[in-house]
Amino acid sequence: MIIEINKLKKIYAGITVVDIEQLTINNGETVGLIGNNGAGKTTLFRMLLDLIRPDAGEILSKGHNVADSDRWKKYTASYLDEGFLIDYLTPEEYFIFIGSLHQMGVTEVMDFLRTYEEFFNAEILERGKYIRDFSKGNQNKVGITAALMQQPELLVLDEPFANLDPTTQIRLKAHLKLLKSPGLTTLISSHDLNHVTDVCDRIILFEKGRVIKDFYTNENTLEELEAYFSQ
Amino acid sequence: MFSTFLHHQWTGFWRSRNKGATIAAQVIMGLFAVYLIGVCFLVGFILEDLIDKFMPGQDVFLVFNGMILYYFSIDFIVRLQIQELPTLAITPYLHLNIQKRKLVNFLHIRSLISVINVFPLIIFFPFCFRNIGPEYGNFACGMYLLAIFSLVMFNNYGALYFKRISAENIKVVIPAVLLLALVAGLEYLKIFSIAAFSDRVFSFIAIHPGAGFFFPVLALAIFALNDRYLKNNLYIEELTAGEERKSSTDYPFLDRYGAAGTLAALEIKLILRNKRPHATVTKGLILLFYGFLFYKQDLIVSNQFGKMLFPAVFMTGNTILIYGQFMFGWQAAEFDGMLANQVSIRDLFRAKFILLGVSACLLTALTSFYGFLSWKILAVHLAACIYNIGVSTVIVLYFATRNYKYIDISKGARFNWEGISASTMLLSLPVLLSPFIIYLPLSLIGPYWGLAGITVPGLAGLATRSFWTGFLVREFNKRKHKIAEGFRERS
Repeated sequence: MIIEINKLKKIYAGITVVDIEQLTINNGETVGLIGNNGAGKTTLFRMLLDLIRPDAGEILSKGHNVADSDRWKKYTASYLDEGFLIDYLTPEEYFIFIGSLHQMGVTEVMDFLRTYEEFFNAEILERGKYIRDFSKGNQNKVGITAALMQQPELLVLDEPFANLDPTTQIRLKAHLKLLKSPGLTTLISSHDLNHVTDVCDRIILFEKGRVIKDFYTNENTLEELEAYFSQ
Repeated sequence: MFSTFLHHQWTGFWRSRNKGATIAAQVIMGLFAVYLIGVCFLVGFILEDLIDKFMPGQDVFLVFNGMILYYFSIDFIVRLQIQELPTLAITPYLHLNIQKRKLVNFLHIRSLISVINVFPLIIFFPFCFRNIGPEYGNFACGMYLLAIFSLVMFNNYGALYFKRISAENIKVVIPAVLLLALVAGLEYLKIFSIAAFSDRVFSFIAIHPGAGFFFPVLALAIFALNDRYLKNNLYIEELTAGEERKSSTDYPFLDRYGAAGTLAALEIKLILRNKRPHATVTKGLILLFYGFLFYKQDLIVSNQFGKMLFPAVFMTGNTILIYGQFMFGWQAAEFDGMLANQVSIRDLFRAKFILLGVSACLLTALTSFYGFLSWKILAVHLAACIYNIGVSTVIVLYFATRNYKYIDISKGARFNWEGISASTMLLSLPVLLSPFIIYLPLSLIGPYWGLAGITVPGLAGLATRSFWTGFLVREFNKRKHKIAEGFRERS
């Protein structure tokens, strides 16, 4: 069990946006968080990364409250939005910076990036542009790759498929499947039911901050979800 | 069509996000402009008396003629500084069914709506009516008016054209600056005088008014040049920045500071690559001339260092004060990422200390040119520098943990009040006042004791730096969620 959430609550302007009684994520699981806009997925991620303070309850990562110590940062990599990128750097500079935070040298970073050449589709490296001048999809690629480069035990991605071109979506999906291992726990939020059910072993369905459904995927999952969302 | 454009700009202004600050800035600018226009009116009407009073015995016409081109030379330089390119406003219209001609015309006319274009008319026209007309006849007076009006047009479109081509290719700035330096140097050495040249030109027009037609031709030429350039380059990417290749850089000298050095290098890139921090720091270089207002010979001779402390602390610490006051706000856009990544907050503060300390040392080195006035100034600067590195940095960084305002670093710094809050206004008070409080009692023993006294807390602050870093980290951790939340609100 890597993540344990107890009685977690976040209230904005009188409206409860996250309200989770009890939720545990096991080591090695790939979990998809789905739900319509306002379901509280991003807020949950932000609390998990200690970016916002819960109004009540706690999130334990490997048994330690994320709000109390920075221990989780060592094994957690995340990409939520462009706010995670340093947009006045070139992608290379950004990767090297992120690498340096995890004691990776320049050559190590470059070696790692070489394995992502296909994913980048020749659109990221050596383009002579700052990150702010890239399209949203390519910015996403930079953010996701930077997260993967940290070789985390816990990977948190908020809507990784959004803004990506179809080829890259398929490549990312395949790659996430390939990365699956007992040592990597992945949390993905997405609006694309197809992709989530394809990649994830477990689906957690949110509505207005509450967990509505929590189940392991099988061949009927997609139909069930489609039925739920078309109500 | 033109009125629609103007209407859109008007509504855009009123609905802009940080309306309060923009409007406050505009109101102050407006009052200032009204004041200046008033002054210009006054100057315009009593120009003759003014010339008589300040340059008694000089021929009034000679002085007036000499003033004209002098005024417009300075006017041109000022325009390069403050006149904005009204181009970005048209991007949402480029793809619509609107003729290019109309867009270009809009840009032409929009650029004329500026106070700068009114000043010279108010200053020079009354004199022309009252003095040139009666003396040289109506035709000459008319030609004067035409020439001055044409010069306004020439400067307006000339400055815009120069800004446009220099935005595309920065290299054109170099010969321009050289030319400027050459003219200024010749003027200084009294080899070539703009005033004398101007006088010769306008005296000639006074006698042969027909020659004045030269000016409208000149204005039309630059207008046509500008017009052609705009018509051929009305594309978003060409109107904004040059498509120059950005390369990766690193600063090996910071490597030995480890993780803190990496973060400091990051911040140097932030300053160099973004408009607002870049402008803010460059402004600090201009402030280095501040000392000339304060360092009077009698103060230096009588060792009145107390009166020299303010400029000394301000000049050697201006990046600490002016750049530091918005601290963390500069990184507002990527602040979430900073928090979620494995960035140690201690290193973050150490990086700030390195950066601010190095900047204070650099500024102190740059201000050493005041040493030509007296070596005593160097002693004052050194004391101020040590104080700034040891004390001001801590004060500024403490206030940084109480600053929750997001800053858009891609916007210009001029009249930009985004990010200013009570804490940013307050922080300069303790920084600038406490040296006096230390200096005054000690200066009763001797002025040099007072200076030494100022270095004591500075050195103490340096020696106990790790304690202060720990203190700042604790303060930061108390409020980091509030800071991050504030930065997420892109108002």
